[in-house]
Amino acid sequence: MSNFSMLEYGLGILQALLIIVLSSLIVGIMRKIKAKSQKRIGSGIFQPYYDIVKLLRKDEVVSDQSSWIFRATPWINFVTTASAAFFIPVFLVYSPFGVVGDILLVVGLFALGRFFTMLAGLDVASSFGGLGSSREMMISVLVEPALFMTIFVIALFYGGTNISTIVSSANDTSILVVPGILFALIAFFIIMMAETGKLPFDNPSTHLELTMIHEAMVLEYSGKSLALMEWSHAIKQMILFTLFVDIFFPWNFVEQISLVGISFGIIVFIVKVSALASFTAFIETRVAKWRLFRVSDLIAMAISSSMIGVIFFFL
Amino acid sequence: MDLILPTQIDLLHISAVILLIATFGIVVRRGFSDWLHAYRYQTIILSGIVALIALITGIWELYIVSALTLGIKAIIIPKVLFYVTKKLDSPIKLEINPYVSLRISVIVSALLVAMSYFMALQLPISSDETISVFLPVSFSLFFIGLFIIISRRKALSQIVGLLTIENGLFLFAVVVTHGFSLIIEIGLMADILIGVIISSILLFRMSQTFDSIDIKNLESLRDD
Repeated sequence: MSNFSMLEYGLGILQALLIIVLSSLIVGIMRKIKAKSQKRIGSGIFQPYYDIVKLLRKDEVVSDQSSWIFRATPWINFVTTASAAFFIPVFLVYSPFGVVGDILLVVGLFALGRFFTMLAGLDVASSFGGLGSSREMMISVLVEPALFMTIFVIALFYGGTNISTIVSSANDTSILVVPGILFALIAFFIIMMAETGKLPFDNPSTHLELTMIHEAMVLEYSGKSLALMEWSHAIKQMILFTLFVDIFFPWNFVEQISLVGISFGIIVFIVKVSALASFTAFIETRVAKWRLFRVSDLIAMAISSSMIGVIFFFL
Repeated sequence: MDLILPTQIDLLHISAVILLIATFGIVVRRGFSDWLHAYRYQTIILSGIVALIALITGIWELYIVSALTLGIKAIIIPKVLFYVTKKLDSPIKLEINPYVSLRISVIVSALLVAMSYFMALQLPISSDETISVFLPVSFSLFFIGLFIIISRRKALSQIVGLLTIENGLFLFAVVVTHGFSLIIEIGLMADILIGVIISSILLFRMSQTFDSIDIKNLESLRDD
């Protein structure tokens, strides 16, 4: 597994770049579908790209009360999520950078980025930032054990925490043979909604102080920093979607490296991820935002679902 | 018994998983109609499982039992209970304040599933593939139903818990004995139907007398 050719490293970089570049497209598709299902027209699916370009051109306003943490956070966020993207297989069953770290490293990189986002929310000492940080801390404390339980279920069934191992053994076995993985699917879906700030947990499209969690922390950002924050949020969402699709719907991976195979693999990947994104957007239009203290009910569902997954493995 | 094909074993496992997920649907929801929907899904999957066992064992009576389950327990009983919930006087049709909170009851139910799997491992009868797959599932349906009965306040959830227990017992009987004789099955179904109708009448009486269907009202036995 450790000797890869230069071509394979190039393809690995291409996979990471696909995740980083296409992430905004997925955000656009989800916004469009949400708008359509609410009988609005909605902006085009390329609108997030225009937003990022516009924000990059704009001037930045930084509070003079803030410290270096506030200015460093967008960069830390972007670097952690973008480097996490290098471990995710997209159209090959493996990522050549997978020898460096496994799925726990991806979770750790996310946690680092989130830690600095929470610090930045506290740093400017606005009331909204502190509020958003404390809510985010509560949710992340609850989500983390659920996420680890789910990862353990997947690792038990597919033999290891390395993402390349997981995806290649998921590719070899049909989901009918390992029914316990269905419990991991439910748990992972709930966690995915929580981590990306989707509707029962957090409403990303409002700026109302009662409902916002993620938006409250990044409220003080403007210009290039805001562009980086939004983009890294989109990349994080794309990574989680890709992981979900890789682990639970591992169809049509490229067997031999050829131009036709790879372009076909990329198209299949885009179709799979946009199908998942549309499904998530539909779920989001169907539910209302839950009360903050009922959110732990959902996380308890995720935890108990993955507990039953563990039981099914040891049968 | 015929030889079991590998795809049939996969189908057995996956139907057991789906049945457990449907059972958790009753535990996690709090609206009256949500419970009934979840119960209906559970029963539809149960009748599918019975048909699957009939396919594997080749006993034709089990097809009739499966059709009876689908007809009586998945269509008529939810219809009756939906009618009752629509007619109830109480404006809030939710389990508002259960004795055990929802998030704890979900985790307790997962522990109950674990316990029933360990119990099924202790029993010496798990020789057959269908028995080893469905015996723990029927135990966990039984325990979860019992837990719903003791942890909720509303009388309707007691009925749903009882029906869940009954589903567990039914699954147990079908899996272990491959079906009683047909006349007993029909008698059991009629029994459940009459039981549900009587408890719906009791629900009406409760909601007329006390203006709520909280079972706390039933604890005071004297008239003072």
